[in-house]
Amino acid sequence: MLLARFTPSLLPSFTVVGIVLGGIFALAAIGLVLIYRVSGVLNFAHGAVAMFATFVAYQISVENGAPGWIGLLAAVATGAALGYVIERFTIRPLTGRPALVKVVVTIGWLLVLQTAAGLIWGSTAYHQPVKLVSKNGFRLPLGNVVVGYDQLTTLIVALGLALGIAALLRYTTLGNAMRAVADDPAAARLWGVNVNRVTAASWMVGSAMAAIAGVLITPNINFDTYSLTVIVIDAFAAALIGRLTSLPLTVVGGFFLGLAQTYPRSFSSLSGTPSLVTFVLVLAALGILFRPGARRMRVV
Amino acid sequence: MNPATVRRRGLAFVAVLALGYPLILSDYIRGLAADGLIAGIVVLSLVLITGFVGQISFCQYSFAALGAFTVGSLVGGHHWSFWLALPVGVLFAGVTGALVAIPALRLSGLFLTILTVAVALFFDRYVLAPGTWNSFSNGNANWDVGRPAFLGLHLTGSYAFYLFALGCFTLCALLVWNFRQGKTGRVLRAIRDAEVAAATLGINLTAWKLAAFGVSAALAGFAGAIGAASIGSVSRGSYDLVHSLGIAAIATVMGVGSVAAGAAGGLFYVFGPEILRHTPLSTQWFNLITGGLLIVQLIVTPDGLVPDFQQKLGHLLHHRQAGVGTAPDTVGAGPTAEAAAASEPKAATEAIPAVRRP
Repeated sequence: MLLARFTPSLLPSFTVVGIVLGGIFALAAIGLVLIYRVSGVLNFAHGAVAMFATFVAYQISVENGAPGWIGLLAAVATGAALGYVIERFTIRPLTGRPALVKVVVTIGWLLVLQTAAGLIWGSTAYHQPVKLVSKNGFRLPLGNVVVGYDQLTTLIVALGLALGIAALLRYTTLGNAMRAVADDPAAARLWGVNVNRVTAASWMVGSAMAAIAGVLITPNINFDTYSLTVIVIDAFAAALIGRLTSLPLTVVGGFFLGLAQTYPRSFSSLSGTPSLVTFVLVLAALGILFRPGARRMRVV
Repeated sequence: MNPATVRRRGLAFVAVLALGYPLILSDYIRGLAADGLIAGIVVLSLVLITGFVGQISFCQYSFAALGAFTVGSLVGGHHWSFWLALPVGVLFAGVTGALVAIPALRLSGLFLTILTVAVALFFDRYVLAPGTWNSFSNGNANWDVGRPAFLGLHLTGSYAFYLFALGCFTLCALLVWNFRQGKTGRVLRAIRDAEVAAATLGINLTAWKLAAFGVSAALAGFAGAIGAASIGSVSRGSYDLVHSLGIAAIATVMGVGSVAAGAAGGLFYVFGPEILRHTPLSTQWFNLITGGLLIVQLIVTPDGLVPDFQQKLGHLLHHRQAGVGTAPDTVGAGPTAEAAAASEPKAATEAIPAVRRP
């Protein structure tokens, strides 16, 4: 009965949607991995930070009518500032305490940011997405698909930032310091790395990436506080495919998740299908890649 | 006064207060108190899993939803008796909890948090979403459950239902309390504090962990089922991730190693928003305050508020005893078994071994 609606001619356009969604997931997941690698904290507030920053962009661009890129810049600044505040004032005082305590602190931040955004912007109301570029597009000769300029921009920004982070980690002093702290904070400190500053920088960069992902995803989802906050689990699913370690595999995981969430929509009208896909992926990744004795990788 | 007397008198005072005080309260407040005790059962389920076993769960309200919707669909949809539907719901929640525990057996505490958040979202956004399983979730509509009768007494009156909720809470508290006493308690503490050592002593880690998760989820499912009877209907809005995170935050703030925190946490969960209603802030502020409290508490008092208070009370009585100079042999035993047990291991969250990054 469900399969009756399946129309193969729609597959190319679903592919485009899935790739764009995947790029955004990859972006959010990279921020998550960066924070986890450097500070050892699973940041459950990642989606909430993205949400709050996105609503700042919404306030500036949609409510106050400023150009989209100014909203985006404000979101990046908000994300970075939130990342800094969370790390400096609530994670750093917990140095030496179990990792789980720090994780619970990020849960506290999730509640705070989610509720605050609900109080400011309303938790259920419909919100107009933040427009960065026009929705008009061009027709791909292959498969006869229309690709929107917004979709193309999203993909380019996502890939560009992923490569940018890779370059940052590989070729800059800050990136080298981040990798050093990720491998061994004590040794990094002995080599003169300012571990606190590097950790704060990783939180700021990671949270700023979450903010960009949040602004980019607004046209693709139901834009309210809850839907954006729970993006964190999609980001975790993508990051788990990279074992929370490997950035290239995290990007692959993001695209895989985006496509896997989109294709079932061609034959199933259930609103919950994307959540099912994410859940299965999290289970599979945790079961296979995180089983005891699984081979550890070290790729940044 | 020796500690046992203090404890007996304290318990008697609490019992009199719990039975008598609601007599002079309004129907509305009694209803809230009953809901608070039901939320307290969810906190108790967290006390069991986090405080005693050292695993963390952010999906307790998903298990509560299983209990509530089982009761809702069987009572509201198939006209079962509430008392037949209740055990089915509890069993369903318990079995699901044990199933969730299977991956948890192989995961360290850190990655288990991802799993439980994923489970909470899976139930909220897939299982209970309209269209997925309408005969269970009733789509966008609510299930009408109504109030059951208990031993021929209709539980429609607010005091009657309050007493029923109090009875349920006391039973659950005794169950969780028993889990900490005797052999069970020693086994669970051994698993929490030193897993490998526990295994070498011949403790079957798998069976114990599955059982602890199953009982914890069953408790949450029980709370969900009773909660359905309290409200009289079941709707999916009350079981999402934010509810699970909120109750976990409150349990942590109150101190997840203590049974007394169950009652305190549950009442706080229900009366907190109610108090906010009478201030310039709205009830919506509640989660913001809870989240803020959680962050501050983890930095300032890692044990949680209730054990902290119990310990301070203990020190106070301890000093008085030392001053009077009576019963020196009881010094250090602590005034209540509760405080002694709470202070004896490290704080619940601290007891979980630090996780190495891969």
